[in-house]
Amino acid sequence: MNDMTVERFLHTIDGISTWVGKAAAWLIIALMAVVCLEVFKRYLLNAPTAWIFDLNNMLYGSLFMLCGAYALAQNAHVRGDFLYSSMRPRTQALLDLVLYFVFFFPGIAALLYAGWEYAGDSWRIGEHSNVTADGPPVYHFKTVIPVAGALVLLQGFAEVVRCIVCLKSGVWPSRLKDVSEIDVVEEQLALSEHVDDETRQAAIARAAHIEEAARQRGMGAGDNKI
Amino acid sequence: MSDPALGLLMLCLIVVVIMMGFATAFTLMGLGILFGFIAFYVPGQAWADNKVFALMVQRTYGAMTNDVLISIPLFVLMGYVMERGALVDKMFYSIQLAFRRVPAALAVATLVVCTFWGIASGLVGAVVVLMGVIAMNPMLRAGYDVKLAAGVITAGGTLGILIPPSVMIIVYAAVAGQSVVKLYAAAMFPGFLLALLYLVYIIGWAMLNPRIAPRLPEEETRVPVPDWVERLQAAYSRNVLVGLVKALVAPARASGLDADGKPLGYRGILYNFGVALVPFVLAVVVFAGTWWYVVIHKKSIEAPEVAGLQPLGGAAVQAQAADETTSTAFYIWFAALAALTLVAVVRYYWRMDAARFTVLKLLSASVMPLGILTAVVLAVILFGITTATESAAVGAAGAFLLAFQARTLDWKRTKEAVFLTAKTTAMVCWLFVGSALFSAVFAILGGQGLVERWALSLDLTPLQFMILSQAIIFILGWPLEWTEIIIIFVPIFLPLLKHYNIDPILWGCLVFVNLQAAFLSPPVAMSAYYLKGVSPPHVTLNQIFGGMMPYMLIVILCMVIMYLWPGMTLWLPNYLYGG
Repeated sequence: MNDMTVERFLHTIDGISTWVGKAAAWLIIALMAVVCLEVFKRYLLNAPTAWIFDLNNMLYGSLFMLCGAYALAQNAHVRGDFLYSSMRPRTQALLDLVLYFVFFFPGIAALLYAGWEYAGDSWRIGEHSNVTADGPPVYHFKTVIPVAGALVLLQGFAEVVRCIVCLKSGVWPSRLKDVSEIDVVEEQLALSEHVDDETRQAAIARAAHIEEAARQRGMGAGDNKI
Repeated sequence: MSDPALGLLMLCLIVVVIMMGFATAFTLMGLGILFGFIAFYVPGQAWADNKVFALMVQRTYGAMTNDVLISIPLFVLMGYVMERGALVDKMFYSIQLAFRRVPAALAVATLVVCTFWGIASGLVGAVVVLMGVIAMNPMLRAGYDVKLAAGVITAGGTLGILIPPSVMIIVYAAVAGQSVVKLYAAAMFPGFLLALLYLVYIIGWAMLNPRIAPRLPEEETRVPVPDWVERLQAAYSRNVLVGLVKALVAPARASGLDADGKPLGYRGILYNFGVALVPFVLAVVVFAGTWWYVVIHKKSIEAPEVAGLQPLGGAAVQAQAADETTSTAFYIWFAALAALTLVAVVRYYWRMDAARFTVLKLLSASVMPLGILTAVVLAVILFGITTATESAAVGAAGAFLLAFQARTLDWKRTKEAVFLTAKTTAMVCWLFVGSALFSAVFAILGGQGLVERWALSLDLTPLQFMILSQAIIFILGWPLEWTEIIIIFVPIFLPLLKHYNIDPILWGCLVFVNLQAAFLSPPVAMSAYYLKGVSPPHVTLNQIFGGMMPYMLIVILCMVIMYLWPGMTLWLPNYLYGG
């Protein structure tokens, strides 16, 4: 396989994870709206809804489970990067590759397998929530577990390919561009009125690099890590 | 190998693998599944029937239906929306003008902005970079000591993870099985005490040694008084409030005034009069709210309880008596504080010249909306009117409204806030999925029991245990993020607290403050490197670390105060929710 096909393959899988994650991300707006409505109904109209507790859990549970692969595709899962950040990319890739096979695949495969059985049982018996007397059905909610497991597993394959590419070339393959926390610097400064233009431009230009440098705590080998 | 020994091996492996930099959530899952498989291994049973799979999926479903964690995405969303909606730059400018007569005004303004920002959002990196751009250069240009400037930004920037509503507190509440509202109430005083101690330190140092923070030149502290305010003063009175009132009564002389090229008009005068009344209204609302809560709301809750206690005889009488004594003390305090505030407000209005009025206008435009939203969200949670989840949802909706009203939130920023919320939530909650399995297997193997027996065999006094546990967490805070510490390592200490009679709420607050110190300690503190990235080249890392050192000592001092007077932390939760 040449480099372009590999990169296209990686970006396709990243794209799937990111698309699902971003779609699921909007559940937070639904959650916010549902809770606000319920606050209004319960405290002002004195008419609480019985199944709202289940609905909230479903929105929140689906949100974070389905975003697991998205976070992995964006390297957003927390890692102890104190030593890791200052390693050379090849060392990082070797470590990651080994640990993906030792910990990641057994764990996620188990989640997929166990989740499949769990959701299957729930579908068979047509399970309903037992929080209230006549709770809503939960089998579709439990199906989220194997779906999320499959997505994370798929993204895991992409990450392993990334490690192999990096081992060969010594450079981490690119990721899809996405919003990051440090972007707020640019947005705040774009609207600022009291910072002079030169400082502003310099800070916006350096913001992304600052994040990287901070992670490496001044010990980084270079700026080729993604 | 015996089972408890396997448990210990698991604990050692998790530390080693985290240091190797693999994503922590998956490390926990993998270790949990491998060791769990061994723990549940039954000879002759098909491997697919191993009970660890049932455990794993039960634990995962448990995290998906956890009613404490559900408020995390909502608070995170609120933070991200505020972060994109409120303008730090304007906040800094107006607060700096408000504090222009205080020693080290720029440093004080930086700290205040950081505290405010910390209430709104719980992220360290972005605050430090932003304040590095907005505040560092003005401070250096004004001739401030580099250490003072660097220290206040880094220390202020880390306050955000401590001051409620912070995600760290929710995570601790979920781990420790404590109530979120109680922990919020408990973290209020330590959080603001720490900010206050920082403030005292800055002002004290600047008063002892004025050279480190020279006064700003006159032209930089001059308040940009709009033209119409001066003409209003000339037409009516030196005092702007009196002037506005007179203009409302007799608008004839104000007809020629124009603001920003447009005629001011009667509505403009009315609007400005409203702005001028803001401090008075705020004071009234705070006192009326306190009065309503203590005298009306609490009575109405307590009344049926007292009636229920009647058959117990003596108990009811005692409860009544206790209630009355607290009430007397409350009335005295309330009267004294209200009188003091009244004097302050009257004095403020007495001396309300054009400059003061302009600063007030700037403040109420930049700081007040954010301040009111957070105060309302916190008050609603703390007074037990709604649950933490409900307040978080209303707070997030309020943040959207504020940002739309200020016209700072467009479609792109909304999307960004939503996606960032999704990523952060996934990060924290997947960590929970992993750690739920990990800790269950750790307990099944007997590792938890082994650690407990070992800790008990050391025969420590509570004080020694407190110091030891906090020291371990402090050291873990160097290489690890707070998420990992609270989700993986804090649960190991929690069962021991009961033995030493330590309140898990007090201990938790000490951990929160402790992590502040860990995040300020060289050479690992990320904020130092963030600041270095935006500072001019002549600022060295050593200067930044040097500036951070005193704040570390202040954090430790704060911890000592919290330990010596546990009442400071526990008074508010006990008062609001009973012991």
